[in-house]
Amino acid sequence: MERIVLQLITAFTGSMGYALLFRLRAGLIPAASAGGMASWGVYLLSCRFLEGIFVPSFLASAFAALYAEILARLKKAPATIFYAPAVIPLIPGSSLFYTMQAAVQADWAAFEANGALTAQYALAIAAGMSFIWALCHIQRKLAGI
Amino acid sequence: MKQSADEMQSVLHQLMDLGMAMMANGAEVNRVEDTLNRLGRAYGARQTNVLVITSSIIITMIFPDGQELTQTRRILNPGGTDFTKLEKLNALSRECCARPLTAAQLGSRIQSICSDDMPRSVLWLSSILTAGSFTLFFDGNIPDALTAMFFAVIVCILQEKLAPLCPNRIVFNLLAAMVTGLGIGATVHLLPFLHGDKIMIGDIMLLIPGLAMTNSIRDMLVGDTISGIMRLIESLLWAAALAFGFMAAIWLIGG
Repeated sequence: MERIVLQLITAFTGSMGYALLFRLRAGLIPAASAGGMASWGVYLLSCRFLEGIFVPSFLASAFAALYAEILARLKKAPATIFYAPAVIPLIPGSSLFYTMQAAVQADWAAFEANGALTAQYALAIAAGMSFIWALCHIQRKLAGI
Repeated sequence: MKQSADEMQSVLHQLMDLGMAMMANGAEVNRVEDTLNRLGRAYGARQTNVLVITSSIIITMIFPDGQELTQTRRILNPGGTDFTKLEKLNALSRECCARPLTAAQLGSRIQSICSDDMPRSVLWLSSILTAGSFTLFFDGNIPDALTAMFFAVIVCILQEKLAPLCPNRIVFNLLAAMVTGLGIGATVHLLPFLHGDKIMIGDIMLLIPGLAMTNSIRDMLVGDTISGIMRLIESLLWAAALAFGFMAAIWLIGG
């Protein structure tokens, strides 16, 4: 439980760090950082009910994209501005690291396992956001905007 | 609105600058093409043909009197992400669509937006915040986070001093990752209670080309397949260079 709270807090501050690095307008930073925390929350929550990491990452990324689309309409700013910081906690920095560490140590079993994890995270993130963007595009077309 | 051919040539030149500035600050290809199309129409072109890829911009404006103007621009610097500049450039283009500016006015406005760089203090603080946060996020402890924060400053200094010397971002990522990795390795050697892996992960999160990858997928999704693939391969190469740099460092320090 403690770990979950710590991860949620650091997901918030980490996304905030990226929001600052991307130089979001000051007024948009709290919303963008909250997006990072919320999408990590979705990931953790769906990990409880689902097997593996692909579907939870997909759901978290889709959530981040949906959150970004909604905020973009509320705040009249492009959706990328909110999506990019919100998805940062999902980026598999850790499994990428352990993949290459395994390669250096010639531990090919660990290399395979971590490499597969990294690829799954990356694909799931891409698939999640693509899914929501496609839906939003259709919705905009239907609404005649 | 009808203007002399010379004036239109310089307007087109400024439009290229605008497109380039948008690309350099993290816009998707689709947004840049759309903006340039609208601006072309605002300046009286009957048809504006725009092709933007991550390394080049081509515009041909066709005017109602049959005159055609073409310019191309090579983009060498892939640039970073600066949503403040991007929003200002967007606002400028919207304003310009409503009431076209002269080439000189447009040029000076673009110049003033682009010269407004992020203050170094903000860059440092946000890098420190990011690296520290992700070290804790990936199960590092407080001393690990503090070390990662220190090396975040090193990464910032490398970005400022080393990046201009490097031929491209692949070489920079490779060298920056190696220097950072070696530094972290040496620190962990001196202070064995630290966790080198957690510290490196925190600093990897700082260098990872997250937005480029997101943009590339978005580009492909909206039909800009070539641009998307170019950017995707580019960002995969950047990430691979990052991984190889850290790998070399781990190998050298006997990870």
